[in-house]
Amino acid sequence: MDANLRKKALISGCLWMGLGHILYLKQQVKGALYALAELAVLFFIAFEQTAEGLALNFNGLIVKGVRGFITLGVFNPDLPVRQRDHSIFLMIDGLICFVILLLLIVLFVLSIRSICAITAHYKATGGELPGNKAFVRSMSEKAFPSIGLSPLVILLLFFVVLPILFSFFLAFTNYSYPDHIPPANKVDWVGFKNFVDLFGGGQSMWTTALGRVLLWTLVWALLSTACVYFCGMFVAFSLLNRNIRIAPFFRGLFILPYAVPSIISLMVWSNLLNGTFGPLNAMLKQIGIIKTNIPWLTDPSMAKFSMIFVNTWTGFPYHMLMVTSILTSISPDIFEAASIDGASNWKRNRFITIPMVLRQTMPLIIMSFTYNVNNFGAAYFLFMGAGASRGPSAADTVSTNANAVDIVVSWIYKLTLQNPQKFQYAAVLAVLVFVVLTPFAIWNYTRTKSYKESDF
Amino acid sequence: MENKRHRSAGHIFSTVSIHVVLIIFSILIIYPLLYVIGSAFSPSNNLQGIGINPFSQAPTLAQFTKLFENTSYKLWYTNTLIIAVMVSSATLIITSTAAYIFSRFKFMLRKQMMIAFLVFQIFPSFVGMVAIYVLLLRIGGLDTKWGLALVYIASNIPYNTWLVKSYMDSIPKSFDEAARIDGATNFTAFRRIILPIARPILTFLLITSFLGPWMDFIIPRMVLRSDKQFTLALGLFQLIDGKSANNYTMFAAGALLVAVPFVVLFLIGQKSLLTALGAAGVKE
Repeated sequence: MDANLRKKALISGCLWMGLGHILYLKQQVKGALYALAELAVLFFIAFEQTAEGLALNFNGLIVKGVRGFITLGVFNPDLPVRQRDHSIFLMIDGLICFVILLLLIVLFVLSIRSICAITAHYKATGGELPGNKAFVRSMSEKAFPSIGLSPLVILLLFFVVLPILFSFFLAFTNYSYPDHIPPANKVDWVGFKNFVDLFGGGQSMWTTALGRVLLWTLVWALLSTACVYFCGMFVAFSLLNRNIRIAPFFRGLFILPYAVPSIISLMVWSNLLNGTFGPLNAMLKQIGIIKTNIPWLTDPSMAKFSMIFVNTWTGFPYHMLMVTSILTSISPDIFEAASIDGASNWKRNRFITIPMVLRQTMPLIIMSFTYNVNNFGAAYFLFMGAGASRGPSAADTVSTNANAVDIVVSWIYKLTLQNPQKFQYAAVLAVLVFVVLTPFAIWNYTRTKSYKESDF
Repeated sequence: MENKRHRSAGHIFSTVSIHVVLIIFSILIIYPLLYVIGSAFSPSNNLQGIGINPFSQAPTLAQFTKLFENTSYKLWYTNTLIIAVMVSSATLIITSTAAYIFSRFKFMLRKQMMIAFLVFQIFPSFVGMVAIYVLLLRIGGLDTKWGLALVYIASNIPYNTWLVKSYMDSIPKSFDEAARIDGATNFTAFRRIILPIARPILTFLLITSFLGPWMDFIIPRMVLRSDKQFTLALGLFQLIDGKSANNYTMFAAGALLVAVPFVVLFLIGQKSLLTALGAAGVKE
């Protein structure tokens, strides 16, 4: 028994990761792996690949990455554009370096925890060390989970985590058209300037646009969710009525909008509602209801109405199906009672069945709400034919890219892909969407069966 | 007596009014669909030429011929099909393995990872599109099918892992433990015991991840540059964007060729799809 084993192993393990395992804990294999990981990272810190070969100047890839992230490059107008520092590339490289360093820190914590576990075992058994064999055995047990998860972890790190981190940091830069587009120009860190611009600051135009977009996003999400839900519920209840002889026919018909890809439905509707050539106006004129064309998609209020109407058209079948399946699964009694036939039934529905279905479908409603907040298609494809800004313009549309019917996501899209591009504001909006929607989604998940039953 | 008659009058009234409402609904739903079908077989090129009744002119296949001869429609269709196959098969393999591991093994950071997945799936995948663009540029994945597929696969993982994991949680652990006692490896237990039981949710996963690329617009818009690599959503969009006066009927023909297989598949698989949807959506 070595009373100081734990202390010695910890000190050496802190000096160089894995050293404690090699020197004192008789787990040379594990220790060597830890040590190699630290060696690799230190190598990329200390050595630079130059024209003459490796140089020990503490200017390796990782150092360059971190420095590039902090400075976002140096503006060098004398160089040809292609050779100048590309701030955005530097930022992403820097983030990758941070991820690598973070992994090293996690590994270090793991190695320390492993030392503690082994020495505790040593103490408890009176001098027994697990050794290399135990390590190999435990690795072969863990092989399946670690090999199975590695493609997923790599994909997620690069295509999900990194972009999220990137757009978070982008919100603190001035990456925008026309003066800060790399590689011709440099991007700089600007602190909270973009947040100030958007949330009430110097450029009041952006604040107005944000206010308008946020208000419409909220109204849109509430109204569109309510419309698809209650419309679906109404149809579901109606079709349970015993007096509707051809209920299966109606149900089959009503499912069709759900079966057609929504992007196609929206494009079709954008033609049907075309103010000048659209068949809807032509029909209304022929019947004699209207004399002049109704600007379904080009007048701000009409456009909002059309957006909700078309979204209800594409969205209600899903809710009809959901409510039907809930009504049939709850119990036959309620199934019977739910059918709308006669005034007394209506009362029962209103006070008993509908509240019950509402409670049961609460997760569905929340899901539908968050879906509609992010419903890019409804705000974009419907207005394809409606002018350059794709929708009815507002006073500031030319500079802010936000028209009268844009919701937050479609505005993010336009800020990123349409001139004048303002990536930094798009990033602020992305952060905003994230902060607002996260609690909804988490709350929704905590209500699900899988969350309640599993120990996580 | 009085009361009863009153009720039956109200009864008839409500039945009639529900029928009226349902018929109005039906017209609203069927008209746009019929309009597309009519337009696709119409000889005119634009909306004006079709008017209110798309079946007023003698049907022709002219729009389909034009679609195949003048545009890269066939390429768009095969591109989308290839991407959809890549995405759905990779999603199925990666997600089912991950879900099994999350459901059956205890390991470091497991809980944290599951919570992180939950947070990731809220983020619409295009908020980080600048970063994705740069990453694909770095690995040569811009304007390629595999680059686009990679983005889809990654964005499919978080939500679907949750979905499949919660399904696998409901399979008793004793099933695969029994197999392991009989000497089966983890992989065999997974393949022989778990996968067959989880087939309904895996079918659902396969279908939804296969359908995704047909409808998505934003990510292909960013990743794909050349007409030859376009997916259907991009191609059809380009066909009528700002030019619907000239190309509307050709678009209708193209849209019909996408929508018909969808509707047919949907009607065939309706029952199993709905069961899975119910399992995914409403859990109390």
